[in-house]
Amino acid sequence: MLVGLIIRLILMLALAALQVLVLNDVHLFGYATPMLYVAFLLRFPLNTPRVGVLLWAFLMGLTVDVGSGTPGMGAAAMTLAGMLCQPLLRVMSPRDATDDIVATPHSMGRMTHFHYVAILVVVHHAVFYLLESFTFHHPIPLLISFASSALLSLVLIIVFETLRLPKA
Amino acid sequence: MRELLQRLAQYAHWAVFLILELLAGIMLFRYNHYQQSVWLTQANAVVGRVLEWKAGMLSYVGLGKRNAELTERNIVLQMEATRLRRELGAAQPDSTDTDSLRAEALNGARLIPAQVVANSVRRDDNYLTINRGSADGVCPEMGVLSGTGIVGIVGKTSPHYALVMSVLNTQSSISCRLRGTEYFGYLHWQGGSPLRAYIDDIPRHARFEVGDEVETSGYSSVFPAGIFVGRVAKISDSADGLAYRLEVELSTDLANVRDVCIIVRDDAEELDSMIVEN
Repeated sequence: MLVGLIIRLILMLALAALQVLVLNDVHLFGYATPMLYVAFLLRFPLNTPRVGVLLWAFLMGLTVDVGSGTPGMGAAAMTLAGMLCQPLLRVMSPRDATDDIVATPHSMGRMTHFHYVAILVVVHHAVFYLLESFTFHHPIPLLISFASSALLSLVLIIVFETLRLPKA
Repeated sequence: MRELLQRLAQYAHWAVFLILELLAGIMLFRYNHYQQSVWLTQANAVVGRVLEWKAGMLSYVGLGKRNAELTERNIVLQMEATRLRRELGAAQPDSTDTDSLRAEALNGARLIPAQVVANSVRRDDNYLTINRGSADGVCPEMGVLSGTGIVGIVGKTSPHYALVMSVLNTQSSISCRLRGTEYFGYLHWQGGSPLRAYIDDIPRHARFEVGDEVETSGYSSVFPAGIFVGRVAKISDSADGLAYRLEVELSTDLANVRDVCIIVRDDAEELDSMIVEN
């Protein structure tokens, strides 16, 4: 229990450090900034208490926020994605899946897993970019940053997950 | 009763969800308030240290380009020095003029050198973090300059770091005037290019042209008068048609700023208190 908690904390800090130190400086084509830390949500089994997932998601977003100077945006986006991830996993996991299923390409099937990640990424990025510019009237650049960042994050997360679990 | 509690427990995650979203919202909306603690910003001690380390690493990457810029700047300054020396020689009786101008510009002000450890120019509200804080005498509302012009205004400080509201922030508003005239307005940024900002409310009868220099007016205690801001790039009408709206090409490329100075004006409190009394 405690070990699991500590491992989760280390994973969170590692993802936040990766985001703040490396990924925040990526502005592909001037617009796309990948946000890999959404992948944190893929590490919770379906039977994790929902309050726990929410708190972890919030904390993950907050850590990235503090590091990248975006007040509350990552936290708000991650909390919403964290709220959605379990019902979504329940609906999209195979019929015969056990209650402790974790979202991997193997457990869900490659295509369903891809869709699952895509939905989470789109929800997270939509909230993030809307909050970033909701007082603002540049819809086209906003849409471009949102779409290109979401695409880049999605590709990165899928690659990350595939590399992490080569055979499983 | 127990059934009721169980029913409630089933929905606990909704309450937690709402509370967390509310917290995030509060953080978002209160970010610009000076009263709020500096804890959840890039200027907190741990994050500041990490970012400073990152900035130190990255500073090696751009050395070639920076060298080229410095060389270029050197040449410009040399040429300017030559020109000024010639002018000075021609106007020998008034030789105190330049000195007095400079002294006037920095009247009662000290400069604290600092380095940028974190920076953004791509958002609508951009901030910089610098590696000097309250322990070095930095307080909120102090102006920050680079070698080429204004950078922003200190918002929050922790003991060793400070969060600076960049000129490239939609909430930033800096009093500027056209050099050589008394016409002034407030410099605003509206997103988009990090080199373009706007001044509204320059009166219709003002005479100026594209390329004129814009400097700080000194009407607030943040910046002394006469600090270079940029040049007029385009002249258009304000929204209500009663004044001019100037597009200003900023002299400082904020995407690329590393060494800055904080202006400490010892007379700032006095000036502020007089403004309040009036």
